[in-house]
Amino acid sequence: MIHSLLTDWKIRILIAAFAIQVFTSGTLYSWVHPEPFVAQKIATDVPSAVRAAGYLSGFRLLVGHLFWIRVIQYYGDIDNSLDRYAKLYDYCSLATDLNPHFIPIYTYGAAALSFHLKRPEQAVKLLQKGILANPSETRLKLIYAAIAYQNTEQYDKMIPFLEAQIQRGDAPEMLVNILANTYTKVGRYQDAVELWKRIIKYSDNQSEQIEAAQKLQSLYQTIRASELKPGSKALR
Amino acid sequence: MKRVLTVAVFTFRELIRSNILIVWVCSVIGICGLSYLLSILSYGDALKIFTDLGLAGAELAGWMVLLLSLAVSYNTEMDQKAIFLQLAKPVSRGEYLLGRVFGFFTMNLLVILGTVAVLVFMVLVVNGSMPSYFWSSVFFMVLEMLVLTFLGLTYQMIATSMVRVVLYTFFTIILGRLIDEIQWLLEKQHAPILKFILTLVYYCLPNLDLFNLKDRIYDPTLVLGWTQWQEVLIYTFAYSAVVFIIGWISLEKREFR
Repeated sequence: MIHSLLTDWKIRILIAAFAIQVFTSGTLYSWVHPEPFVAQKIATDVPSAVRAAGYLSGFRLLVGHLFWIRVIQYYGDIDNSLDRYAKLYDYCSLATDLNPHFIPIYTYGAAALSFHLKRPEQAVKLLQKGILANPSETRLKLIYAAIAYQNTEQYDKMIPFLEAQIQRGDAPEMLVNILANTYTKVGRYQDAVELWKRIIKYSDNQSEQIEAAQKLQSLYQTIRASELKPGSKALR
Repeated sequence: MKRVLTVAVFTFRELIRSNILIVWVCSVIGICGLSYLLSILSYGDALKIFTDLGLAGAELAGWMVLLLSLAVSYNTEMDQKAIFLQLAKPVSRGEYLLGRVFGFFTMNLLVILGTVAVLVFMVLVVNGSMPSYFWSSVFFMVLEMLVLTFLGLTYQMIATSMVRVVLYTFFTIILGRLIDEIQWLLEKQHAPILKFILTLVYYCLPNLDLFNLKDRIYDPTLVLGWTQWQEVLIYTFAYSAVVFIIGWISLEKREFR
C-alpha cells in the first residue's frame, strides 16, 4: 500500500512541495527575525494585554497606534496630574514596543517627561531606546542633547538644539513653549515674544493660546521693568 | 486550462451575486473613516497613521471577505448540491478545485486592491506619499491571501459543515500568526516528543509572519532584495501546492450523495 502510495505522482509532488516549504520557511525565519527574539528588549516591567494582542495578532502597528491615542488621553487627563503622570514612561515604553519606528512617541514622551515632569532619567531612557531602534533619526539626537543641557542647567547650549528641532517643522508643539521659556530664562526676551506670538497665531489648541497670551503679558511687564533699569539688556 | 478558467469565472460571478462586495464597500467606508478619525485624534504623523491603519484594514477586509465567501459558497455548493452540476460536466475534480481557487482569489484581489486604491487616493489627495515598502507590503498581502484561499478551499473539501470550514480557516489564520511564538517555544528546553509535535505544527501551519510586511515597512534594518522575493514566492507556491494536492485528494475521495 505504501509503495502504491509513493508511486502516485500527486503524493510525490506533495512530498517535494512540503520539503521545499520546510526549507524556505527555515531560511526565511532569519530574514523575518534578523535578531533572535530576546525578552529583555521589551519593557517586561509593564505587563499588558495590549502588547500581547499586538504581538499575537500580527497587527502591531494597528494596536500601537490605538494605544498611542490612549497614552495621549492619559497625559491630557488632568486627574492624572495628582500622581505626576506616574505611568507616562511605562505607557510610552509600551507604545514604542509596539511601534518602534514612530518617532513622535519618543519626542513627545521625552519632552513631557523631561521638561514638564522633571524626570530626565526616564526621558533619556526612552530616547536611548528610540535612537537604538532608529539610528539615523536626527530628531531624537537633537532632543537628547537638549535634555542633557537642561539637566545641567546649561540653557545657552540647549537653545540651538531646540531651535534646530523646531525649524524642522515636525517638533511637538510643547517644544516651542519650552524654547520660549528657555529664551526668557537666559534673558532673550525679544525671541521669547516672537515665539509666544507664533503660538497664538498658529496653535489650534485654545488652552495653549490662552497660556501663550498670559506668558506674553507677563513678559511685556518684565521687559518694561528691565527697561527702567539703567544698562538693561532686555531687548538684545 | 480553459475549463479551469470557466470554473473560475463561474465562481467569481457566483460570489459577486451573493452580495459579498457589499461587505467590502462597508469595510472600506468603515476602515477609511476610522483611520481618518484616529489619525486626527492622535498626535504625530497623521499620514503615517492613516496609511498604517489603512493597510491593516485592507488585510482585515481580505480575511473577512474570504471567510464569508467560504461560508456562502459552502452553503450553495455542498448543502444545496450545486457541486453536482459542475462535476457532471467534463471537468476533473482537480480542475474544479483549481478553478474555484482562482475565482475566490480574484474576489480577494479585488477587495484588497480596491481598499488599497481608496487608501492611496486619499493619501495622494492631501499631497502625501507612500512609504518605500508600501507596494511590497501590498503584494505580500496578496500572496498571503493566495495561501489562505488555497487553505480555505481545501478545508471546504475536507469539512462536513459550513461552520467547520469557517472555524478551521479562522483558527489557522490565528495560529499562522503565532508562528513566532511556536519558534520561540522550540528554542526552549522541552521533552523530545513535545519538541517533535511543535516542529510538526510549525511546518504544517502557514507561516503568515513572512507575509506581514506591513508591520515592518518603517524598519531601517529591513532588507528586501531579489533573494528574499524569490524565497517568499517559492514558499508561497510550495505551501499552496501542498494544500491544493491535499484538497484535490480529499475531493476525489469524497462521495457525493
